[in-house]
Amino acid sequence: MKALTANRLSDGEVVFWKDGAWVERLSEAQIFSDEAGAGEAEASARTQRTVVIDPYLIDLVDSAGFWAPVSYRERIRALGPTNHELHGKQAEGGGAVEALRQAHGAARSSGRVNLIRRK
Amino acid sequence: MYRYDAIDRAVLADRTAEFRDQVRRRLAGELTEDQFKPLRLMNGLYLQLHAYMLRVAVPYGSLSPLQMRALADIARRFDRGYGHFTTRTNIQFNWVKLADAPDILDALAAVDLHAIQTSGNCIRNVTADPYAGAAADELEDPRVWCEAIRQWSSLHPEFSFLPRKFKIAVTASPHDRTAAKVHDIGLLLRRGRDGETGFEVIVGGGMGRTPYVGPTIRAYLPSDRLFSYLEAVLRVYNRHGRRDNIYKARIKILVAALGAEAFAREVEAEWEKIGPEGDLPRAEIDRIGAAFTNPDFVADPASGDFEARRAAEPAFARFVRNNLKAHVRPGYGIVDISLKGIGETPGDISADQMDLVADLAERFGQGDIRSTHEQNLVLPHVRLEHVHEVWKALDAAGLATPNINLISDIIACPGLDYCALANARAICVAQDIARRFEAPERAEAIGEFKIKISGCINACGHHHVGHIGILGVDKKGEEFYQLTLGGSGAEDAAVGKMLGPALPIDRVTDAVEAIVDAYLRERREGERFLDTLRRTGDAPFKEAVYAEAH
Repeated sequence: MKALTANRLSDGEVVFWKDGAWVERLSEAQIFSDEAGAGEAEASARTQRTVVIDPYLIDLVDSAGFWAPVSYRERIRALGPTNHELHGKQAEGGGAVEALRQAHGAARSSGRVNLIRRK
Repeated sequence: MYRYDAIDRAVLADRTAEFRDQVRRRLAGELTEDQFKPLRLMNGLYLQLHAYMLRVAVPYGSLSPLQMRALADIARRFDRGYGHFTTRTNIQFNWVKLADAPDILDALAAVDLHAIQTSGNCIRNVTADPYAGAAADELEDPRVWCEAIRQWSSLHPEFSFLPRKFKIAVTASPHDRTAAKVHDIGLLLRRGRDGETGFEVIVGGGMGRTPYVGPTIRAYLPSDRLFSYLEAVLRVYNRHGRRDNIYKARIKILVAALGAEAFAREVEAEWEKIGPEGDLPRAEIDRIGAAFTNPDFVADPASGDFEARRAAEPAFARFVRNNLKAHVRPGYGIVDISLKGIGETPGDISADQMDLVADLAERFGQGDIRSTHEQNLVLPHVRLEHVHEVWKALDAAGLATPNINLISDIIACPGLDYCALANARAICVAQDIARRFEAPERAEAIGEFKIKISGCINACGHHHVGHIGILGVDKKGEEFYQLTLGGSGAEDAAVGKMLGPALPIDRVTDAVEAIVDAYLRERREGERFLDTLRRTGDAPFKEAVYAEAH
């Protein structure tokens, strides 16, 4: 599964594609199950040059019933910096944020989740 | 401190107006991102993971209270109430909106600050000794030269598009607090046989993916010939530096490829051609020197109840031991302000803390504030009788952690929490280590211990010159960390050697503790960690880390 992400031109905010527009939460993003649909959306997003910068597709995995990025970097983008838990989207809290925090993706090392949650 | 003149202010006003128009055109779609990106970078505006980041130049790490308050105001109005001091003595704001950037530049210009040349392949902010003008071991105040270099290098037409970025450090003390030997050019002020001052010129140091301790290419350069010589070095680099490969474009690669002697010959030949016409007239150096306001020192001031309080209050005594340094004038001290509170983000400072530092500098510190490449602040001129009051105020604001040069005084780059280039986080690793060594008695017993952490090979966290260096790497999508031992950014500069295989994030602090324990077992009377390591080699430490890691 995939989602389409970018940074918003006006403020750099991490945003996700949803039916031709952009939303701030991954939990509200359009999820693509096929390569063709994802590629089409990416091509369309690249035409929105005054709205976003550098749109690209990310891989997702299931985490506690929510979709979470496989890549650790993308999970930080979707949450916010781990040293300031009140900054970024993580400040809202809730099930989707918690699922992102708990997501493992490619991670294998023990203790990682605790480190993320500590700050 | 140097003050801008009318021309400086006009240049800044024009530059900000130009950038305001560029932002407008970008938002209106008249400029593409490819066209706009180099323009915003030339004004210090980066796009990071979560938002735009504005990097503000703090010239040679000197700030006035007025400037610090302006930074606090910017943090409140345009960011999230804080800023982050960097390893280039600059300050970054992490949550900037594009449309606000020109207003921020205006606010900076109002107090003689800007963000020019904080990015791009140009001469960046000069690093100076943060104790300049105050250090007891200083030959003369190096900031006059730093300011002259700032003026010479700002918007320099020949050197604005170098093969790669270029960093210069200047120090006038035998104890190097600037990491001069790992700069593109390190200038060490020396006294010549004739009694005049000059510079030992080191060229081609650096960190990044190919670290080098720079070689000395001229043992003594008369100070009045500095600018023609700098021009010769930069011109040789501009001519021969590689532009085909970004990873081989720094001057260190050129110096290593040619060899220091051959590079020096090229420079000398170019210098000969330039001649003294390329130098600043002495009158200009004197004019710049006169623009620095001399602190209003009192001759032999009373130290009040400083000694009595030090004897009576152990916490104050600990602060004095670690955060107060010898001043050139009797009755004064240099106060280090730690931005490394235990569990805090190294280098971060809130707007309220900025205001407090400004107040203290004004009331007790001759209006002088410095930022250090180790991500701390300094009040360089505090009368000893005022140190207790300064300490109390800092302590109440969480700024009096007595850990300067100790194990929790860790350099960490923003890492993967913010930086688009990073492979792994650095901040949380620093926080975890600092918590492990939180007990001040233990930290003092360990002694001088410099841990430096980078989230990628670009080495903004100076890991190559950490006594323990920690480098974050991406191993199949996971954060792993390579440890190096034996680096130093001081006068005994050295690049650390890799200890062994990279460790997962949850083993890093244990590994650091194992190294520390091995050091405490092995050390002899009076040895720093580096001394013990140099005597024993890395075998005891390798065994400690990897025996415990399995």
